[in-house]
Amino acid sequence: MTGDGMPETENEVRTTPLASASYDVDDFFAANELYQENGWTDGLPIVPPTEALVRACLDRARLHADDLVGVEPVRRRRITAEKVAIAAVMAGCRGEYMPVVLAVVRAMCAPEFGLHGTTASTGGSAPFIVVNGPIRRAIGMNATHNALANASRANATIGRTSRLVILNVLGGVPGRLDRSTLGHPGKFTFCVAEDEEESPWTPLAVERGVPAGESAVTVLAGGAPHQLMNEWTRDPRQVLETYAATMRANLLTYSIWPGNYAIVIGRQHRDVLIAAGWSKHDVREYVHERARVTRGDWRGVGKAAVVGGKGDDVHAALRSPDDLLVVAAGGPAGGFGAVVPPWYGTKSLAVTMRVETGGADR
Amino acid sequence: MTIRVLDPRLDPEGEPLALAPAVTSLDGATIGLLDNTKIGTAGFYNHLETLLRRHGVREFVRRRKPDLSRPVPRDVLDELAAVDGIISGIGD
Repeated sequence: MTGDGMPETENEVRTTPLASASYDVDDFFAANELYQENGWTDGLPIVPPTEALVRACLDRARLHADDLVGVEPVRRRRITAEKVAIAAVMAGCRGEYMPVVLAVVRAMCAPEFGLHGTTASTGGSAPFIVVNGPIRRAIGMNATHNALANASRANATIGRTSRLVILNVLGGVPGRLDRSTLGHPGKFTFCVAEDEEESPWTPLAVERGVPAGESAVTVLAGGAPHQLMNEWTRDPRQVLETYAATMRANLLTYSIWPGNYAIVIGRQHRDVLIAAGWSKHDVREYVHERARVTRGDWRGVGKAAVVGGKGDDVHAALRSPDDLLVVAAGGPAGGFGAVVPPWYGTKSLAVTMRVETGGADR
Repeated sequence: MTIRVLDPRLDPEGEPLALAPAVTSLDGATIGLLDNTKIGTAGFYNHLETLLRRHGVREFVRRRKPDLSRPVPRDVLDELAAVDGIISGIGD
């Protein structure tokens, strides 16, 4: 609608006024200082969210400022496109990343993700984001060398945006709503693309119901990644035994509750598994059987006090093989993999959300 | 050159929440104890019951949230609605 209430014409673009308060500062340096002093950033410098940059982000995603992206269900925070765009600009995103950012926010707002609990908990998890589909390459995401760390602007800034949304939009301020005892470095950013080019396996999002050829994100409230290594076997069972052992260690030293674990399998391990004809389904079946402990095993890790009379009870890391998210990523050499454990059993479940690209030109 | 930057925070929506009026006397009162499922809560409430009985509380209604990080279900709130005052566990 135009200002006088007349219907807009087909060519007219509605420009929604921005709802956010604004501040005048001398320059970009002063803007950064303002955000640092107010605790509006993660401690790293930000790109100042000017109206022009935020509007460019919204335009790129074909969103109006007041469009609703999601609602955090517990505290009923209605997350508008404007606030997500501000976070994305601050994090350093390019406008073309916005469809991925929006999918991440939508995924985090799914009730089963339990965003409030994962944010507020002393457990200190971070949204672990896995991106699948053609948008990975279109926006230059990294899936190979240094896959879980710094190598790509898109990985870094998309992950960081989720943190800035939690911080500023949901009020997840450490020591206030965010009660994490330790947290982990993934709370700065924790975003990986799956290496679909160098893996014959079904991409994670497709396994979770997204049509092949479409882009999607999967978000898991994850603890810190546990890196593992095994370079001394060509036996797929031996390789996976190291992953299962890492998960058993987590059951014993962190939390006994089963839930969504993610395993990131590097190329060298994948080569062993694939040469032996193992699919992701086979991997999940094996790990489901092997990643289990007895309650009595707690005696060996300082937790004898909670064994009680149930020492023979068996605890599996996964309720079923489907609880395991198998992600192909990592550089070409090195017998490495990683386990990303769940924050707190099934209190938060992994959520897969399609990336709405809305047309071939975006 | 001055630049104008935007506030990243989202203001809470809806009516501000207010605490119910404080209980003026514990004599003969019924007190609700809402357990947030954290490990120390039940023991703490057991002790609290002993203390509050000494101060005249007649009855307790103990309820447990099904999940520590999600809202209390409507039916549990309804069960607690008739009491004179509620103690609700938050955090650890």
